[in-house]
Amino acid sequence: MRDFRRIILRRVISLFVTFLLVICINFLLFRMMPGDPLQFMVPSDPKIPDEYKKMLIERYHLDDSMSEQFIIYIKGIFTLDFGESFIHKVPAMDYLLEYIPWTLLLVGIASFFMIVIGMLIGIIAAWKRGGLFDSGSLAFSLFFYAMPTFWLAMIMVMAFAITWNIFPPSRALDIGTQFELTLASVKDLLHHLVLPVTCLVLVYIATFSLVMRGSLSDVMTEDYITTARAKGLSEKAVLKDHAVPNAILPMLILIALTVAYIVGGAFMVEYVFEYPGVGWATIVAVNEEDWPVLQAAFFLIAVAVIIANFVSDIVMLYLDPRVELS
Amino acid sequence: MSGPFAERMRLIRKKVAETGRVFRRNRMGMLGLAILIVFAAMAAFPAQIMWVFSTIGGWDYPYGPHDEVASYGTGTDPSWENWLGTDSRGNDVLARLIYGARISLMIGTLAAAVSMALGSIVGLLSGFWGGWRDEVLMRVTDVFLVLPWLVLMIVFVAVLPGGPSVIKIVIVIGITGWAGTARIVRTQVLSVKKRAFVERAKSVGAGEFHIIRKHIFPNVFPLIFANAILTVALAILSESALSFLGMGAPATVDVTWGNMLEDALNADAMYNGFYLWVIMPGLCIVFLVMGFTFIGYALDEIFNPRLRKR
Repeated sequence: MRDFRRIILRRVISLFVTFLLVICINFLLFRMMPGDPLQFMVPSDPKIPDEYKKMLIERYHLDDSMSEQFIIYIKGIFTLDFGESFIHKVPAMDYLLEYIPWTLLLVGIASFFMIVIGMLIGIIAAWKRGGLFDSGSLAFSLFFYAMPTFWLAMIMVMAFAITWNIFPPSRALDIGTQFELTLASVKDLLHHLVLPVTCLVLVYIATFSLVMRGSLSDVMTEDYITTARAKGLSEKAVLKDHAVPNAILPMLILIALTVAYIVGGAFMVEYVFEYPGVGWATIVAVNEEDWPVLQAAFFLIAVAVIIANFVSDIVMLYLDPRVELS
Repeated sequence: MSGPFAERMRLIRKKVAETGRVFRRNRMGMLGLAILIVFAAMAAFPAQIMWVFSTIGGWDYPYGPHDEVASYGTGTDPSWENWLGTDSRGNDVLARLIYGARISLMIGTLAAAVSMALGSIVGLLSGFWGGWRDEVLMRVTDVFLVLPWLVLMIVFVAVLPGGPSVIKIVIVIGITGWAGTARIVRTQVLSVKKRAFVERAKSVGAGEFHIIRKHIFPNVFPLIFANAILTVALAILSESALSFLGMGAPATVDVTWGNMLEDALNADAMYNGFYLWVIMPGLCIVFLVMGFTFIGYALDEIFNPRLRKR
């Protein structure tokens, strides 16, 4: 039990160090940027009074030394204050907060489907190893795995939204409507979600099905499976009670490691579908050179992934006592 | 010629020949190789390929990727002169597609080389040293694993000086993609390090870098090589994503499949029914990435004897 606690403590410390490094990188990267941020906030129009510019410089601490800026930045982190958006004139975090639920919704639903379907495909493929389903699903998953997410999104828009007009091509809700808790609104939302979710699921399913297949194939060669079979258990019982539970561990590691990739993919999907999520906001912020928003987004995403990593570590420790201090 | 050098060459040749024999029996690997050869031909001889097409189609001349063969605008439908139509720049889509292979392949391989070099060095040193130096290197690696690749790349493109260019894209993809390799190499080094021949080398007083170069690296190399092939696939996908967002190589100078798709999105090709302009560049990316993935998997199977037995 003491060991258990020590392992967790070690993980917490190393993740905390990672977190500190992320914070520093987040600060340094954005100070390295070329160009003058003032230029993006106010057009270089001689009619704009110098007092206004001076006020902006003061407000955004653009003239302070690097170390002073760093102190302001660190203080800000504790209150999630990354300064005001250059373009939207609201605190950067507040601006992003509006987009977070949309991304969580998209990534959440998509992750659920890709994990469940991917696992099922992997289990069946490993069970009927070398069969038609195995090679068929392998070809299918590798084909989508090799696909740029944004391209699949474009093809889907072209086919299902424009040519056949079954699903809407963009946004999360019909134009001019706000989300309400009514049946019509929820239906509208789901209708808009079908294409982006399908797109993400198709691209990332291979990651899960391939690992599940590999891990289950490994387990199937173990002695205890032979023992279980020798006991006269049905194939189904062997699979359900002996093989799958032991093969699921690598999946958990994978889920944590893939979060960062899925977020990247979600960015591209959001961009093509003009879906109002964090990815869309981030790409817009890059084009507008809106540093504070970018910084806040960078921070948010990194923290989300670090937490996901930590949770998966804990779950793994709990499920598999063999995991050592590594 | 004889002596230790000749003997070593003989062993290397034997090893390569043996790997080749196993590889030829691997159907997936051979399919990947075939795909790759087609794209390599496109990258090496785009003008010649266009010349053949122009002769078949009876065009006035073989189009280049930047020749304005139609008027600037939204694009035109496929015709006998422009088999895949023209794009909003008035360029022939087929010409851009074929010339695009070169830059796409080049960025993919160069970027993969950069990240393989970085990842291998970090992984080798980290695994070999152990202790606090390992700890420091691994924390830095974690940072790169934790941050979503796309966000990291976008930010790097934004902060690095200079406008968009091929070199810049290579560097950005290279320095954001090495962390996974470092992890894999480190794990392998940890297991090689415990073997008897490393202990022996240490006991006769061999230096750190000598041991890494002569004893550890050769044993980790096959893994690095298989991983490098897979990294090329990822780098090609990264390039296409960056170009698609308008952060890659400029479309007026260097054609890539990614910036062809960027043009298509900006010109609303999806809404205007220019299907081939949207479909073809993407298909090229898919097949090229698949080619590299197949070869990577095949090599992995060959170098990983545990897998070969199954």
